[in-house]
Amino acid sequence: MLEKPTTEAYPFKPIQLTERFRGKLDIDPAKCTGCQVCALVCPAAVITMVDLGTRKVGDRELKVRRPLFDLASCISCGECVDNCAFNALQLTKQFEIATPNKTDLLMNKAVVK
Amino acid sequence: MSETLTQLGKYAEEVGTKVIQLRKNESTVEVTQDRLKVFVAHLVNDLHVRHLMTITGLDVGQNLVIIYNFSLERDTIHVKTSVPKTNPQAVSIVDIVPGAILYEMELHDMFGIELIGNPWKDQKLLLPDEWPADLPPPLLKTTKPDQIRRRLGLEAAKP
Amino acid sequence: MEYSAESLVPFGPIHPALKEPEYFKLVLEGERIIDVIPRIGYVHRGLEKAAESRPWVQNMYMFERTCGICSFVHSLCYGQAVEELTLFQVPKRAKYIRTIIAEMERIHSHLLWVGLMGHWAGFDTLFMWVWNDREVVLDLVEAISGNRVHKSMNAFCGVRRDMPENMKDRIVERMKFLTDRARYYREVIDTEETMLVRTENIGRVSQDTAEKLCAVGPMARYVGLRQDVRLNDPYAAYDEVPLDIVTTTEGDVHALLRLRLDELVASANIVSYAVENLPDGPIRVKVPPVIPAGEHSSHCEAPRGEIFYYVKSSGGRTPERVKSRQPTMANLPTALEMLKGQTLADIPIVLTAIDPCFGCMDRMSFYDTETNRRWTWSGEELRQYGVNHYFPDRSKKQRGFTKAIDSSINRRQRESI
Repeated sequence: MLEKPTTEAYPFKPIQLTERFRGKLDIDPAKCTGCQVCALVCPAAVITMVDLGTRKVGDRELKVRRPLFDLASCISCGECVDNCAFNALQLTKQFEIATPNKTDLLMNKAVVK
Repeated sequence: MSETLTQLGKYAEEVGTKVIQLRKNESTVEVTQDRLKVFVAHLVNDLHVRHLMTITGLDVGQNLVIIYNFSLERDTIHVKTSVPKTNPQAVSIVDIVPGAILYEMELHDMFGIELIGNPWKDQKLLLPDEWPADLPPPLLKTTKPDQIRRRLGLEAAKP
Repeated sequence: MEYSAESLVPFGPIHPALKEPEYFKLVLEGERIIDVIPRIGYVHRGLEKAAESRPWVQNMYMFERTCGICSFVHSLCYGQAVEELTLFQVPKRAKYIRTIIAEMERIHSHLLWVGLMGHWAGFDTLFMWVWNDREVVLDLVEAISGNRVHKSMNAFCGVRRDMPENMKDRIVERMKFLTDRARYYREVIDTEETMLVRTENIGRVSQDTAEKLCAVGPMARYVGLRQDVRLNDPYAAYDEVPLDIVTTTEGDVHALLRLRLDELVASANIVSYAVENLPDGPIRVKVPPVIPAGEHSSHCEAPRGEIFYYVKSSGGRTPERVKSRQPTMANLPTALEMLKGQTLADIPIVLTAIDPCFGCMDRMSFYDTETNRRWTWSGEELRQYGVNHYFPDRSKKQRGFTKAIDSSINRRQRESI
């Protein structure tokens, strides 16, 4: 039954994805500076900025924030990717992210230097 | 300017109102409620502007503005009329443009405007049957989304 | 005409298995329909209210999700309405890319519809074969935009992604393949008994009625009205590509089938032309997040008809008012006229023929004025009734799986009556 010409053999064989396929969002924490532009442009309200303390710059105490992503709501549109000035975000080709626990889909890769 | 718009401009001057050109092919003209049906009849029957795209409602504070969006080839003509919020009763154009029937029902649901002359004017089209009587129509500026959610017993959405 | 409260049975339209719900109350005389009272709004999501509290760009994504099949045209129409307020010009290359994606969407939608007509008529082979060909255009769309359905390609004054390199030959070749397939399906519907019996002389409406009731799209064109936004008020690149508007004068459901298949061929032609004559240049002009005050409207030709958007800005970061009108709402009064005079077995065909964007008929309640009988049926039961009515010998030729399902539905129908 799986050898018929129009049947995809997924999940027994991997599925062919195009190059531009938009899957799960990913962040490179080393490049993120916490500028929060991604949180402001997201159409699905996926990104919340989490306070992680303060740091000293000169005589001022500046807040340090990093984004927390709720990937259950993410529509993979790529607005955050297009608007990130530091190229910290990208859309991967992963799409098999279904899980029975909603907390598995909260992505927080914050690394505070 | 197209032939239709020129003729519309002349007719508008005769009845004491003016056609304002918004952009190259888009014009708007404001009429009062008592002159509305005659104006629309002239537009449909004499100027052959038969296609009514939709009827838009607007909340501008004291009044509710009703915009009839007509189109003919490249021209878009908006016919605006307004009713006060304290007495939201408007005249229906269903006998001139039968296709307006569902759009007027939508106005009634969303803004609370009563369309006199519409055969289905008291029936709900879009709102659920259980819409509470004390909850104001949803598209008014004074009705907030939170208010609707709480009153209908829905969970608050994420901030 | 007023019917007493006991004669119309209200039943909930929510069905666990299928599509989008809507609800019709049908008054019958024996087998003929004499009146239809619609009730819609079951998937009303309050998008117009929600748009008033979201920034302009985020609204584009929200309106894209009004519909799955005409998603690109929704974001295009909204984008066009707002772009005029900004006074920036859209680059030419962006207009061509918008045209290409919009026409691919039209091809996808018409193929989906032809398949659904096959399914509701009882001709499931057509359904399967057409939906297989639909994969061709979905793969092309995925290669260009990254997603099969919600393309997210539009931005204000431009498109977000350029055409990939080296796709031109592949697109032209695939369009030729789809043209050949559309011509083959045209032959099928013209000669195959199943489709002819179920669609000829069904669903007639006069040209005058359709014009008075402001029908749009194929519903206006199948009675001879030459009404198409791409012709009457060209947007994007439609004033520069070869446009072939199809109209018929026969005015029945079979004419609708022929019309949509011919439109498919015309769209494939537009895509091939646009891909080969794509101008160079930028694809986007950056627009500030604050849109100047004013009001503007825009209309586009979606696969189902004319979409209309009206936008009013008061100079802020969020709109003051957005009004969106979908083609199915404009076609609903015409559809109700089409239903009057038809028999019970023809309801699924007629309602699918208007190409509704609510999947239709999840629950329908019926009242027969002659026998005073009231009952309710689901969409699947209605489909099975139609198939049995027209092809009573079929159940003898069916095998195994489908036979088991059909016979269980028939048993339930006999028990309910």
